[in-house]
Amino acid sequence: MKKKMKKGKITMIITAGIVCFILVLVMTMQFKIVNEADVTSIENMRKSDLSTELANWKTRYDEVNQQYEDTVNKIEEYKNNKESNEETSNLMDSELEQISMSLGKTDVEGQGIIITINETNNEEVEDITADDLLVIVNALKLAGAEAISINDQRIINMSDIVYIDAASVIRVNGERILAPYKIKAIGDSNYLESSLIGNGGAVDEMKKKGQDVTIEKENRVTIYKYNGEITTKYME
Amino acid sequence: MQNKKVVAIVLGIMCFALTAGICVQVRTVNNTNSTVSNDYEENNLRAEVLRYKERYDNKVKELSNAEAELEKERESATQNDSDLQQKEQEITEGNKIIGLTEVTGPGVIVTLGDSKKDASSSLDPSMLLVHDTDVLSVINELKNAGAEAISINDQRIIPTTGIICGGNIIDINGEKVGAPFEIKAIGLPEQLAALERPGGYLALLKDYSIEVKLEKSNNITIPKYTGTINYQYAKSID
Repeated sequence: MKKKMKKGKITMIITAGIVCFILVLVMTMQFKIVNEADVTSIENMRKSDLSTELANWKTRYDEVNQQYEDTVNKIEEYKNNKESNEETSNLMDSELEQISMSLGKTDVEGQGIIITINETNNEEVEDITADDLLVIVNALKLAGAEAISINDQRIINMSDIVYIDAASVIRVNGERILAPYKIKAIGDSNYLESSLIGNGGAVDEMKKKGQDVTIEKENRVTIYKYNGEITTKYME
Repeated sequence: MQNKKVVAIVLGIMCFALTAGICVQVRTVNNTNSTVSNDYEENNLRAEVLRYKERYDNKVKELSNAEAELEKERESATQNDSDLQQKEQEITEGNKIIGLTEVTGPGVIVTLGDSKKDASSSLDPSMLLVHDTDVLSVINELKNAGAEAISINDQRIIPTTGIICGGNIIDINGEKVGAPFEIKAIGLPEQLAALERPGGYLALLKDYSIEVKLEKSNNITIPKYTGTINYQYAKSID
């Protein structure tokens, strides 16, 4: 009687062992598949993501198509005006105008917003950091800002926003800037504003920390050009 | 007898837990893997996205051919006038800086990968991932160290590029990229390598066990920006 029970127990343990083993095996396999699934690939997207993705590609296609047509037109114009240096010069000037604007070498104006950040006297509120400014500038770019400046330092492609520990100052383009910070941005003013003040927006987050930030929408914001020299030494 | 009951109950619970685990897994896989999904509308949308992506890619190729032709036309139109040649030089130089042409030069390649640490061993697993603010800070430090051109997973950083993260992917120039992030920068390699200094942002990321690698190179190629730059709101004033 005693022996028989032992035998039954052993069978049970072995069976349980096998079942557990199989289950664990299946789980590992599943885990692997989940890990391998690439979330950036459209094969793995759901319906709502796909709709956004489609809209995104449509806009991008339209943009690149527009650019293509502009380029083809420019080629035609150069071809047609080959004989006249004056005409060629005018064509080049209009190309240069857009490039200079991108580089930040011209003063620009247009509708946009002005963000003012004041230091508070409240000891409990964190100081404004270079990272706060960096996050705002990034958010403005995401919202389609075409030109940005902080305390009249134009943000160009090579601009940095850093905190210098030793001097405890924030530097933009290597120039020190002091509070109150005034960030100007040109673009769709409604869109720029709403992307900052919406829940989780950069300005919303700062206000939650108790910082003193205000946004004004303006029909005409003037942003000054970058006043340094833009030079490159290493890239070809 | 009672012992047997306990064993049976324990086994029952174990089997139940494992089965539940498997069910969750199967559902996740169903959600992420299209080969299992048969949603007609979804597949249609997917095909449409692919079609537009292809059209876009083709247009980009056409555009870059047209741009090469434009450059040639410009050159031939300016060849017998030194003033015009000067302007042509300015255009080429400007396009390099704003990211509209491919550039090469010495520099560094910084790679940021999610931590290999087991997520369950950390109090806050999101700390083990690379976030948009991390990439943003590294880019800012590179600019501070004098980088002249930067790309992230071959997406060129232009003056209007913003970086945003959604889930574990980062959106750059409207293009989605996932970890590991390969950040290329052209500039003086020794100066750019100063990013690795103690107390710098890379050191901080290493403290969070993020995989960080910095390599110097004498020959880095950074592709051009493939999208379009146009201004709707900003106007130049003289």
